[in-house]
Amino acid sequence: MKDYQLAWRNLWRNRRRTLITAASVFFAVFFALIMRSFQLGTYEKMYRDVIESYSGYLQLQHVDYMDESNLDNSFVIDPGIISRIEDDPNVTAVIPKLESFALAAAGSRTQAVMVIGMDPDNEIRGLNIRNRLIRYRLTPGAVESLKAENLPGLTPKLLDVFVNESFTDEESLISILGIDRSDTLKILPLLRKYTVFDNGYLTAADTGFAVIGSGLSEYIHAGVGDTLVLMGQGFHGASAAGLYVIKGIVNMSQPEIDNRFVYLTLDDARYLYAAPGMATSAIISVRETDDDNLLMTRDRLREVLGDDLVIRTWKEMNALLLNQMEADNKSGAIMIGILYLVIAFGVFGTVLMMMAERRREFGMLVSIGMRKGKLARTISMEMLLIGLLGVAAGVAGSLPVVFLGYARPLRFTGEMAKMYEDYGFDPVMPMLLPDTYYLWQVVIVLLILLVAIAFSVRKVFKLNVINALRA
Amino acid sequence: MKVVEINDVFRTYHDTEVEVKAVNGVTLSFEKGDFAVIVGPSGSGKTTLLNLIGGLDQPTGGEIIVAGHRLSELRPSELIDFRMEHVGFVFQSYNLIPVLTAEENVGFILSLQKWPKEKRKARTQEMLSAVGLSDRHKSRPSQLSGGQQQRVAVARALAARPEFILADEPTANLDSKSAETLLDIMVKLNKDEKMTFIFSTHDIRVMKRARRVITLEDGRVVSDEKVNHR
Ligand SMILES: Nc1ncnc2c1ncn2[C@@H]1O[C@H](COP(=O)(O)OP(=O)(O)OP(=O)(O)O)[C@@H](O)[C@H]1O
Ligand SMILES: [Mg+2]
Repeated sequence: MKDYQLAWRNLWRNRRRTLITAASVFFAVFFALIMRSFQLGTYEKMYRDVIESYSGYLQLQHVDYMDESNLDNSFVIDPGIISRIEDDPNVTAVIPKLESFALAAAGSRTQAVMVIGMDPDNEIRGLNIRNRLIRYRLTPGAVESLKAENLPGLTPKLLDVFVNESFTDEESLISILGIDRSDTLKILPLLRKYTVFDNGYLTAADTGFAVIGSGLSEYIHAGVGDTLVLMGQGFHGASAAGLYVIKGIVNMSQPEIDNRFVYLTLDDARYLYAAPGMATSAIISVRETDDDNLLMTRDRLREVLGDDLVIRTWKEMNALLLNQMEADNKSGAIMIGILYLVIAFGVFGTVLMMMAERRREFGMLVSIGMRKGKLARTISMEMLLIGLLGVAAGVAGSLPVVFLGYARPLRFTGEMAKMYEDYGFDPVMPMLLPDTYYLWQVVIVLLILLVAIAFSVRKVFKLNVINALRA
Repeated sequence: MKVVEINDVFRTYHDTEVEVKAVNGVTLSFEKGDFAVIVGPSGSGKTTLLNLIGGLDQPTGGEIIVAGHRLSELRPSELIDFRMEHVGFVFQSYNLIPVLTAEENVGFILSLQKWPKEKRKARTQEMLSAVGLSDRHKSRPSQLSGGQQQRVAVARALAARPEFILADEPTANLDSKSAETLLDIMVKLNKDEKMTFIFSTHDIRVMKRARRVITLEDGRVVSDEKVNHR
């Protein structure tokens, strides 16, 4: 009789208890993994949003620009340096960007905005603003017409909730309106008919045009074709003023950006701010985007730059966001900690009960000549098996959920989605594919088991045979 | 040949406020082939004495020598091995491992002793048939009667050919018929295999079958008589 055989049989002598204990481990692991996956997936999406819509992975900046982000810390684009940076194996493009503040007005409303000047043809290689163009809009008229079409389910009610909302893709429009997959084919043509939003985009040759964020557009009541007045201060105190026709509206997902976003061509921005040939930064678009590669690329390029210029990573540029996420991450970790604490007590309860119930048997086994070490090994194996059973089931159970949640991110519908949008979040909860966070859950459960095992091993070695037999 | 020598052994408990001399100066020896019972009123020290002989407990005075080993000189882990090699135990109840079959229970000590599988199987079968349970070799303890369980326990105790078998009130939980069957088996094994048995009991049926009766009172031996059957 091998130790593991005895352990395996013992596992099933109280089948229900074993299953309940394994099930509690399963639920802890399962929920912890799902929670983590949502949480980390959401961070990942936020990071991707700022990177794609604003900062890029790497930026070339004047050394002082990060501390004082104004035109005085801009620099002249030197084609020599740019081409040397572009020679780096990990770099695919360098896209100059001129960025400053201004006051935007249309009609009677004014708003402080962030003006970004970039070459729109080049921009797509570093950022991804073009994909954020609004394609559908639920104008009050569109809502009326759609309601007249007698749509099934909750859709008519949801139309009222989302009146005046805009969408960049059909997928989110369909899901937010609670339209059933089976009805999609029937309803899609109607949606297209009433809600398609006529939107344009900048080209490098444009002068006097702007693309603005949807939040800004709403606030200043200005849409496509309206005129936007920009006023501000140019380079070295020159005054800056210009008139621009709004050509397109984008949804920038991060509300702080969306409410203040004005996009001009690089030439228009340079003209506005009296800063010919200059940039406040240049987005360096790269092939490999992981931390190690970004840092390596940055370090490789250091010698090219001279004293005035530096390369910043997205993490340096978004330190505030990262800090916020880190704090949120900690509160999530505390939740999971509590979950595991509860499980730890459950496991411990089982172990205590098992040890008490089998005291006599242990006394008998040691009496007839079973070494305590061997006994302890058998019991440890038993508990390890219960734990691993739970962990394996938890991991296995979570995998399909996580893969599904990754491939088809959960989108909220109705009021819930409205609430998310009002708080400035996309009503989407993407999941993160299995990563080191999976390993951590397993490690935590193993640690809990280890404590329980250490406890029972100690009990075995302290077992007084005579007392155990009398029990 | 002496199997067990007990020289002026004491075992005192200080657990409570009063000091209890559970075994109070016992000198005894057991020969190979003995079939001895220890009797005496409740609390007279029978269990304590058996535990001392089996190396489950250490005397507070005196010395016990079993099969040439001075028990006081063995370290705790050596004592466990000593028990595995030299002593067969049969307890009053709860002798068997509930998750193992009768056969596996009988072979348990053999597997602790690392007997090869074939030899182990042969010996296990031999022992099960000696206690009349060949046909129940696949049964779990919960599927056996109390008497059958005790017979499996005897088979296990004997399987590894220990120096002697210690049995603390082995018939206490059995009805007359089961007790008689168990006794018949033990008497036969005592004859056929020259196995030494040391019992404690309150059971008059057991006393009748014994060839030596030792009476304890307050931890002392008050009589030690040879009994001749016919
Ligand atoms: N672990 C212990 N702690 C304290 N006192 C004990 C302990 N074990 C036994 N005793 C005491 O030692 C004495 C002898 O006990 P023992 O169990 O040996 O008697 P016994 O003859 O086997 O009795 P019974 O016939 O009831 O089984 C009793 O007075 C008992 O209370
Ligand atoms: Mg007793």
